[in-house]
Amino acid sequence: MTSVHISRKHIGLLLLLPTLVIMAAFTLFPLLEGLRLSLTNMNLLRETSQFIGLSNFAKLLTDDIFWISLYHSVLLTTVAVVLQLILGLVVATALKQELPGVRFMRSIIMASWVIPVVATVVMFRFMSQPDYGFINIIFRLLGAKNLNSYWFGNLNAALPMIIIMHLWRNIPFYAIAFMAAMQAIPEDQYDAAHIDGAGPWKTFTNVTLPGIRGMIIVMVTIHVLWTFNNFDFVYIATGGGPVNATDILPVYVYRQTWSNYTVGYGASIGVVMLLILLVYFVIYIRIYERKSR
Amino acid sequence: MALTKRTRDLIRITATYVVLAGCFVFFIMPMIWIIYSSFRGSDAIFSGKVFTPLSGFTLDHYKTILSVTDFPLFFLNSLRIAFLVSVIAVSSSILGAYGLSRFHIPRRNTILTAIFSTQMFPKILMILPLYTIIVAFSMLDTTIGIVLAQLILVLPFAVWMLKGYFDNLPSELEDAARVDGCNVFQTLFRIIIPIAAPGILVAAFYSFVVSWGDYLIVSVIAQSQRTATLPLVLQRLSSALNIRWGQVAAATVMTIVPTILLFSLVNRWLVSGMTAGAVKE
Repeated sequence: MTSVHISRKHIGLLLLLPTLVIMAAFTLFPLLEGLRLSLTNMNLLRETSQFIGLSNFAKLLTDDIFWISLYHSVLLTTVAVVLQLILGLVVATALKQELPGVRFMRSIIMASWVIPVVATVVMFRFMSQPDYGFINIIFRLLGAKNLNSYWFGNLNAALPMIIIMHLWRNIPFYAIAFMAAMQAIPEDQYDAAHIDGAGPWKTFTNVTLPGIRGMIIVMVTIHVLWTFNNFDFVYIATGGGPVNATDILPVYVYRQTWSNYTVGYGASIGVVMLLILLVYFVIYIRIYERKSR
Repeated sequence: MALTKRTRDLIRITATYVVLAGCFVFFIMPMIWIIYSSFRGSDAIFSGKVFTPLSGFTLDHYKTILSVTDFPLFFLNSLRIAFLVSVIAVSSSILGAYGLSRFHIPRRNTILTAIFSTQMFPKILMILPLYTIIVAFSMLDTTIGIVLAQLILVLPFAVWMLKGYFDNLPSELEDAARVDGCNVFQTLFRIIIPIAAPGILVAAFYSFVVSWGDYLIVSVIAQSQRTATLPLVLQRLSSALNIRWGQVAAATVMTIVPTILLFSLVNRWLVSGMTAGAVKE
């Protein structure tokens, strides 16, 4: 019996081996190497580099663009995830109804989630063109001709446009996931709430929300990680501009690394990103473990 | 009482359709607009009007993109890379998820958390070291280099998702298979894979779509037309000084159509598959 147990134990690890090897080589090693680089003054234009301790991090403290990028990253992630959560719940509630046409919307709404980010950006940039962009055409038809502008080039509108693209891509995913979780709530819980005389809002907060709590935690967590780390939307739409209006940490890291060639400095900004997410992730694990206990 | 129920239903129905109408305008219209624009002549596109007379429609943008540029080549590059990423990611994650789900693995929960937590690692921090590895293996500007690098985008989520999916499958059939003398791989191929097909299909779809849409890794590792993929080309087309929006629209449509087609095939399993990792007990 013992020998069978041991061989089965080995089988488990053996099955996991390909995944672990790929992740060690292409995830763990690059991460550790990134951590090491953050402690050096490596520059792509120089042959050699030295260990300089925490100097890069000290330099960050007085780097205005770093602070602006950090602020934008936190703002973007917070606003996008909170709006996605609220609107995701609203759309999920609508998609849960058994009415004509709802099924059709369920089947097409996630299309925005499957198309490449670059295509999304192209669509929104096209719609934001002055004069012939769809958004500006609509404003003109509504009589707001003076609003005509290139929305990604507008200092005040550029960051909201980035947030809107995040909403466009992700709300349907939230909505469909929440809807599925809502459908899994046993009907008798609703009946019980009804007998207790609970109104729609009470039912929502006392039955629906607790029923999908696990799904909410997972969706919010992965989207905080994905949104905070997302590079494509900003880089492709604005490159961080106009001026620094949409600069976020991933774009700043990219610029430091591939435009200024200051790899060590860029890596230190990436390490700050990792530390912020680490704090968030530890809190998440605490909440998740308390839930499953 | 009956009246209040009726009023309540009326409010519910009205609110539902208001939300649906909003969803249609916000989520669906942008796609309809770009598809519509890809068939409009340039004069119509730049006219600033919504409607175009029938004579204003044309297939020229598609013809130009397909004949004048190397678009078909980039399309095949994207297809080849996304296909390989799906196959490798799914094979590896089926094995890994099966091991995690059914076998004793020391520190299983720690391993699972570690795999999931890689979602948190900033790709932007890892991209230069990743580039260095790819260069060291002489895989710069090769299909296999891009495929290996893109695996890190999909593998953690695919393993996590399939592990959840396998956990929810009843184990009676496997026990029966084991009694009948099937070994681990026979059980996996004859029992698990067939009944887990929807989940596996979703994992494959997810991997394909992520690879198809990846910009960052391709932008660093692709150096020439041999390996450039559609996102890269779309980005270049749309950042030209004088943008030909008709052609950009046609290229965009051809980039999104494959993902939408695949999406419509796996749609009915998508949610249960994607969220299997989240809804297990």
